[in-house]
Amino acid sequence: MFTLSQKNFRAPTTCLGPTCTPDMDSSHGDDLEGECSRKLDQKLPGVGDPAMLSSDTSYLSSRGRMIKWFWDLAEEGYRTYHMDEYDEDKNPSGIINFGTSENKLCFDLLSRRLSQSDMQWVEPSLLQYPDWRGHLFLRKEVAKFLTFYCKSPVPLRPENVVVLNGGASLFSALATVLCEVGEAFLIPTPYYGAITQHVCLYGNVRLAYVYLDSEVTGLDTRPFQLTVEKLEMALREAYAEGVKVKGLILINPQNPLGDVYSPEELQEYLVFAKRHKLHVIVDEVYMLSVFEESVGYRSVLSLERLPDPQRTHVMWATSKDFGMSGLRFATLYTENQDVATAVASLCRYHGLSGLVQYQMAQLLRDRDWINRVYLPENHARLKAAHTYVSEELRALGIPFLSRGAGFFIWVDLRKYLPKGTFEEEMLLWRRFLDNKVLLSFGKAFECKEPGWFRFVFSDQAHRLRLGMQRVRQVLAGKSQVAEDSSPSQTQEPSDQHR
Amino acid sequence: MSHRSDTLPVPSGKTRSQVLRDRSIYTRLLEVTRHLQQTVREHFVQLMSRQGLLQERRHTQAIREQEALLSRLLCQMIDLLQSGATSGLELQVPLPSGDSRGDVRYGQGTQLSGQPDPVPQLSDCEAAFVSRDLSNRGTDISALYRSSFQDYNAYQKDKYHKDKNTLGFINLGTSENKLCIDLMAERLQESDMNCVEETLLQCPDWRGQPFLREEVARFLTYYCRAPARLDPENVVVLNGCCSVFSALAMVLCDPGEAFLVPTPFYGGFAFSSRLYAKVQLIPVHLESKITAINTYPFQLTVDKLEEALLEARLQGKNVRGLVLTNPQNPLGDIYSPDLLMKYLEFAKRHDLHVIIDEIYMLSVFDESITFHSVLSMESLPDRSRTHVIWGTSKDFGISGFRFGALYTHNKEVASVVSAFGYLHSISGITQHKLCQLLQNTEWIDKVYLPTNRFRLREAHKYVTAKLKALEIPFHNRGSGLYVWINLKKYLDPCTFEEEQLLYRRFLDHKLLLSCGKAYMCKEPGWFRLIFADELPRLKLAMRRFCDVLEEQKQDLIVKQLEDAMRE
Repeated sequence: MFTLSQKNFRAPTTCLGPTCTPDMDSSHGDDLEGECSRKLDQKLPGVGDPAMLSSDTSYLSSRGRMIKWFWDLAEEGYRTYHMDEYDEDKNPSGIINFGTSENKLCFDLLSRRLSQSDMQWVEPSLLQYPDWRGHLFLRKEVAKFLTFYCKSPVPLRPENVVVLNGGASLFSALATVLCEVGEAFLIPTPYYGAITQHVCLYGNVRLAYVYLDSEVTGLDTRPFQLTVEKLEMALREAYAEGVKVKGLILINPQNPLGDVYSPEELQEYLVFAKRHKLHVIVDEVYMLSVFEESVGYRSVLSLERLPDPQRTHVMWATSKDFGMSGLRFATLYTENQDVATAVASLCRYHGLSGLVQYQMAQLLRDRDWINRVYLPENHARLKAAHTYVSEELRALGIPFLSRGAGFFIWVDLRKYLPKGTFEEEMLLWRRFLDNKVLLSFGKAFECKEPGWFRFVFSDQAHRLRLGMQRVRQVLAGKSQVAEDSSPSQTQEPSDQHR
Repeated sequence: MSHRSDTLPVPSGKTRSQVLRDRSIYTRLLEVTRHLQQTVREHFVQLMSRQGLLQERRHTQAIREQEALLSRLLCQMIDLLQSGATSGLELQVPLPSGDSRGDVRYGQGTQLSGQPDPVPQLSDCEAAFVSRDLSNRGTDISALYRSSFQDYNAYQKDKYHKDKNTLGFINLGTSENKLCIDLMAERLQESDMNCVEETLLQCPDWRGQPFLREEVARFLTYYCRAPARLDPENVVVLNGCCSVFSALAMVLCDPGEAFLVPTPFYGGFAFSSRLYAKVQLIPVHLESKITAINTYPFQLTVDKLEEALLEARLQGKNVRGLVLTNPQNPLGDIYSPDLLMKYLEFAKRHDLHVIIDEIYMLSVFDESITFHSVLSMESLPDRSRTHVIWGTSKDFGISGFRFGALYTHNKEVASVVSAFGYLHSISGITQHKLCQLLQNTEWIDKVYLPTNRFRLREAHKYVTAKLKALEIPFHNRGSGLYVWINLKKYLDPCTFEEEQLLYRRFLDHKLLLSCGKAYMCKEPGWFRLIFADELPRLKLAMRRFCDVLEEQKQDLIVKQLEDAMRE
């Protein structure tokens, strides 16, 4: 994501030949390079196919050249964003980031907790090669933590826990050990787009989409509702196309919908998966970021009986719920020892420092602080920020989805698109960016309908206010701009913002 | 493959009758395998009972170990079986493009390059009874890991402790420097280490935090004696050197392509290249014997490189690079600048990348030796194809930190390796600590390095004196954490099987060493022994070491007597 100017996009295409040019314009996306690898997934027969990229003077292998091409697109944008990052004092006209899903509301609490003396422990075993599954003391804490917060009917076991350096690594490792090259996971869209890259980079695994609609039809009761019929259909389609599906990825609470699956729904999806012998990866990375109590979130680990416990794998991390995406800590919970061992076999490459493991154990065991200080405060702040942004949107008469989980609101800006195309979505996105507010557009989540945007609201009030003000400006000027829209207006070089 | 046809449609390209036929092949294979399993087990039970008389109290433990060995042998047999079966019976399972799963079999040393390249569905059969849930490569990864790390895991669960577990394992197998933990622990507890800033907790720069990359560039400029300041933009920071190597292998090679490696060679990279990147390591076998062309043991010459390259190319291998470790692991040698230059020129001549792992660069404890980093060279023959790896695991004895850095003049390579930052990232908090650590040159120069070198030297002296007393030839010229020892005289016959049995015997005595085969050494009988451990532990370890060799010697005498009587 964060990719800014036309100029930046055009450059790499020249070395790639015409096959990749057509929808370059849509390669801006969510969370860094989710979008780019989706391209990789769709357009290219597979990483490592030398036919795709003619070898010029590059020092890289053909898969290396491909990775580079997509990475450059992403990194270029990332750098540009960072070059013009908003800062209240130093760069008040810089870009406000409503695009990256980070919780910036509780840094004060966290920094205080992480600075306490119990966090500074150093002992020899923490400095030496660890058990690659994660230090046992940490896995014990994780098991206890998940038992408590996921409301597991039975105590969860440390031997089912594997600790890694982030959710991305976990997706990568699971994809590698569950699928062969070219096989796929089903995933309902819209979804957190970066997963595409995580499963593809090493694993060369694809995603098969279960497209959901905003329109409520048939037996559906709400927009973007996932049903077993839709899953069945997507599975059939994948098979018809010769794609072998090995599993299903569910994100609960959902990203970007901000919704949760009811236990009944969850059960149905799991039964569906069992029927087809599919693995289910349940990403619960937002499980403690449900700030509306009425939502009634239930972790898959709270279910009395899992239909297929050997094929159900749960992910959790501290990056969202504890607002520490820079800390790189994630965990897998699976009863399947083969899967746990196989993932652990890859942990040599996805390990995290023993000192950080110690700190995480300290953090997770401090139930008192979590329950009395952190969670209530975090939820209150999330709620306040959510209320502010959703009221702004209501005032503008803009429809949106968000039931009180996660850091984002899924916003329907379709009425601002002169034509319902992804090109128009992109133009609108760029107009926001020109006005120094960064959003994520629906295409990055593989949303079927152009015009949806994800607004991340978990940011400080002053930034939210300024960001929303900029959003209003863009939308107010929209009708006028739409009339005399010309390509030149959207192709301003990014240098202008710097 | 029954676990495949469980799922709905018949795999593409297969008719029903084919599936049935495959199934019958599978059944037969399984039968044969079970038979083999039985035979091997009986064999070992016999073997065990003989050992049991000698070492009764260790009987149970030994059986456990032997069973592990058995399962490993079993896996190998299945591989053999199946590669035979598949070629004869045309088992056509569609191979995903470009993926050669069966390329490198860790621990099969000399056979590395000998295997046919894309062995179809190597581990299908294995998978069928190992797990129904993993992909073939997942099963393969698990099996590889299990066979490579199970002894290490046994050690993790039963570590020696001077009060709590005096009968536990002592690990002289894993290359860790445990001599300066006191200094490091003290340093890491100083107040500058503890910093929690907002940027450290937020989404990082995937190449590594700018402050850390700057520090690494400065650090390497200083300690590698670079003629010009190194550029932070050429640095990528990941969670360990194996991760760096893995990412490099991904972006420099396509699946099935290869790197040349002079052997004996650090086994961890063989593991890395196989797990994810599917890159083959082609050994350039070095020999211990001194001859006209081999002026010292395990000498690497350009002729040997040329020969290995030619041979690989004749076999149709696409060799993309050369991997060097300097100071060497497990030899403890260092390359002179002249030699290094020759290797680099060889690589340039053939358009090969050179990956140089200098992870032991500050662990040169013999003061008469000067280490020359490749980064110290005035001009590199091929800057764009020279990539340097360094990390803190060995030189600072903090392998638990998970930190590895790449330095490459090639911006393209640096940039694309950062794409892997997502999957190999380091915690911001750790990055801060590393930065503080590397920044404090005064402490490093005045406190840490002198102490570390002194302690390494003392430990080395102790171990080598013991070895000399035992008249065991060894190889180490003053760098690294290990000595490369020759135990050939304890093997009769001198085979890798006997080497493995001796290795097991060390394990029975709760001593973990590494055997030469894990380093793809061509000659059986070599072992790597880590000496960078605290003296009391080292003393006990050497006592166990002597016990094992004494026992082995007795066995050899008995065996020779028996042989003599038979004649």
